[in-house]
Formats: sequence, C-alpha cells, structure tokens
Amino acid sequence: MTSPSPVLYDYILSPSCYKARLMAALAGVRLALRPVDFHPGVEHRGPELLALNPAGSIPILVAPDADGDLILTESAAILVYLASKAAPAFLGSGKPAESARIQQWLAFSARLTASLGGARLHEMLHRPGDLAGLRASGIAALRELEAALFEQRLKGEAFLVGNRPTVADIACFPYVALAPDGGVSLDAYPSIRLWMRAVRALEGFIEMPGIHRLHELKPDPHEAPATAEA
Amino acid sequence: MMPLESALVWTPVALSADLPAASVIPARLADAALAVWRAQDGTVSAVADRCPHRGMRLSHGFVRGEALSCIYHGWRYGKSGRCLAIPAHPALTPPETIRVATYRAAERDGIVWVTASQEAGAVPAHDGFLGLRSVTVAASPARLAASLGGTLDGSVIDGTIGGVTARLLLASSGEEGVLLVHLLIASGAADAGKIAASRALEGLRRQAETATITGEAA
Repeated sequence: MTSPSPVLYDYILSPSCYKARLMAALAGVRLALRPVDFHPGVEHRGPELLALNPAGSIPILVAPDADGDLILTESAAILVYLASKAAPAFLGSGKPAESARIQQWLAFSARLTASLGGARLHEMLHRPGDLAGLRASGIAALRELEAALFEQRLKGEAFLVGNRPTVADIACFPYVALAPDGGVSLDAYPSIRLWMRAVRALEGFIEMPGIHRLHELKPDPHEAPATAEA
Repeated sequence: MMPLESALVWTPVALSADLPAASVIPARLADAALAVWRAQDGTVSAVADRCPHRGMRLSHGFVRGEALSCIYHGWRYGKSGRCLAIPAHPALTPPETIRVATYRAAERDGIVWVTASQEAGAVPAHDGFLGLRSVTVAASPARLAASLGGTLDGSVIDGTIGGVTARLLLASSGEEGVLLVHLLIASGAADAGKIAASRALEGLRRQAETATITGEAA
C-alpha cells in the first residue's frame, strides 16, 4: 500500500509555495494541494492554520511519517524533505564543502524572500513597508547572486552548487524570477538570466503565474514558414 | 551627465558570451530600448523592444531557429525585422508592412555592438582585450575613473583591476545616473585572473557608489 500524499497548504501566487510545488514536480512527488485563501481571506491567520503554524505563514507541508504527521513550515526544510525522500541528487554529493554551500544558499534565500518578496507584496497586495529599502536590499542580494553565478560559469557550472540543480537553486529561483513584480528589474544580470534559463529548462519544470518554461523547448505549433524568409 | 553615445556611433550593449545561440536579451541605446537576439546560426540582430502588435517587450520573447517570437501572441520576426508568421492566422502570409524597427548589430572582441546609424563606420576595436562581465554602476564616468585610479577618455576607462590590465567600456543603462559598464581584461588572462578581476569589480562598484552617495569630489 502506498502512503498518502503529503498535503501542501498552498497559494498559487506565493513564490514560497511554488518552491514546494516545483521541488515536488522535479522529484516526482505527488502532493495533495490544499488551497489557502491567502488574499483576500487571510486564511493563513485563521485558527485552523495557526494551529498548524503559529507563525501564520505558508507554505505548510503535512507529511505522514513513521512517527506521526511531520509538520514543516519553513520552505527550505520542505525542499530538503522532498529531495531526501525522492530525489537525493538535489542535496548534492554529500561532500562537506558542497553540503555547506547548499546550506549557505538556503539561508541566503531568506534574504531574497524578505527583500524582493517584501517589495512584491508591497506592490501587489499593498503590504506596508519601506519600498525603497526593500528594493535596495533586493538589488544587493541580486548582485551577490550574479557575482557567484559568474564564477560558477567560469568553472563551467550552470547551477549554484555544481553542474546539476540542487535545493539551493530551487530555493533561490522563484523570488529572483519574480523580482520585476516588486519593481526590481532583472535586465542588468546576465549570469542570473542564464541560470534562470537553465532552471526553466529542467526536466519536469512547472510554471506559476509570472514564471513560464522555455517556450522554445515546446513543439513549434507553426512549423515551416519561419525559416523561409526571402 | 553627458549622453555617452554623443561621441559614439557604435554602442557596446552586451558581451557575446552572455547571449547564447537561440536566445534574446534586453539592451539599451541611450534613447531606445532594444531586444538583442542571437539566431540558432549564431547571427546577432537588434530590434526595438516593442512588438508592433500589442507593445509587449520582445526581449521577453523567445528564439526558435532563425526567428524571434513575441511571448504574448507569438508573432514571429526574421532577421530583417519582417513579421513572418502570426499563429492566430496560420494560413496568412503577413504583409511586408508588418515589421519591427531594426538596428545594425555586430560583434568584435567578445562584445555585441549596436548602432542606430546607417552611416556608422567600422566597429570599434579593442585588440588584446576580451569582455568579462557587464554590470550597472550608479556613478558618473568621472567618479568611476577616479575610484579605479584609471584614465577616462570619452566612454573608455583604462586601468588595472585585481592586478589585471583592464578596460571599462561605458554605455547607457537606460536609468538616469546609472552606467552600464563592460569590464574587458587582457584576452590571455587565466581563470584566477578573471576571478580576481570580477571580485575587484564588485569592490570598485561599492567604492564608486559610496563616493557618489557621500558626495566626495570625483
């Protein structure tokens, strides 16, 4: 008998919830999605969800486990759990430096959430906040990411840690890709652009509103005349 | 700040290495937003960053084979700027009048150059250099040159960065007070030199931007 699917308390427009959906899709894990009325219902601050996560944030993953239900409320932990269960290659080779670098990026991803995610919430849902300050912190984080990804390219590596994707990439990708929602342009970051292409081209990649897969990888619905320019 | 392109006919808009085959990127002239794209066959083209259909940025689009497509409704443009296909009307051959404005584009020394001028002469040469990184810096050319301790000549700064002989090419970022800076280093540099130059570039930017904010004399 197969165990029941983990339940993800999910909001379609949340980049943090998308991290969990994307990781599950790449790992081939089936999730039972439980939609949360984040906006305008503020359901994540209601008694049912606060009982699961007193912090009042989503995503929340409730996974059946040997010792009873495992309740995870931090997206980085959700990524690590899904990868450990079904796609351990996303945790790297296990070499100390590699594991540590993955942890470094998981922690870094919280800065992206606070800065770029904060600016996005301000612009989309009118959350109060110091928009200029949030954007400046977001740009500082993007510059760090760009410099690191440039050095990765010199090594011939397309991802944050090594030449294959890890949870580090999945943790950092969504808030970066959606930075323009918060009024932060991505035009000035060529290495980030190439990295996002590599993530969007992954086998099993799924979309969310504002983030699409590489159209050029889809079958051409309008074959032939394109190459026939006189 | 003086418009950087006033003395220039060709503008360095990106590094060749940042534009792989079958891809499109946003770029700038001082007074125009561009979509610069590389076809599968390696040819680089530059067009106005605006689809004539609904105004969507073509730099958000995608390249299949030898054509650039708009992400919105898939209108497809060839290297000449002419619309080749409209997916909603698959049987239609689009009239020749449907086209996107094109610019001349060329590559040299690992840099992609664009001009709006039909009379522009040879593409500028930077023999012995190779493009390493492009970054934006919120500082003036004079301030950047002072921070580097280099010499500013028009839109070119020569100096040393991270122990490596370097040249900075300055262009418009499209944002007031922000420069697009291409770092070129000696073409024979080893990876260690490239990393040192890249890290020193981050430091240079911090220094130039901090000096701008605190209002130090350039």
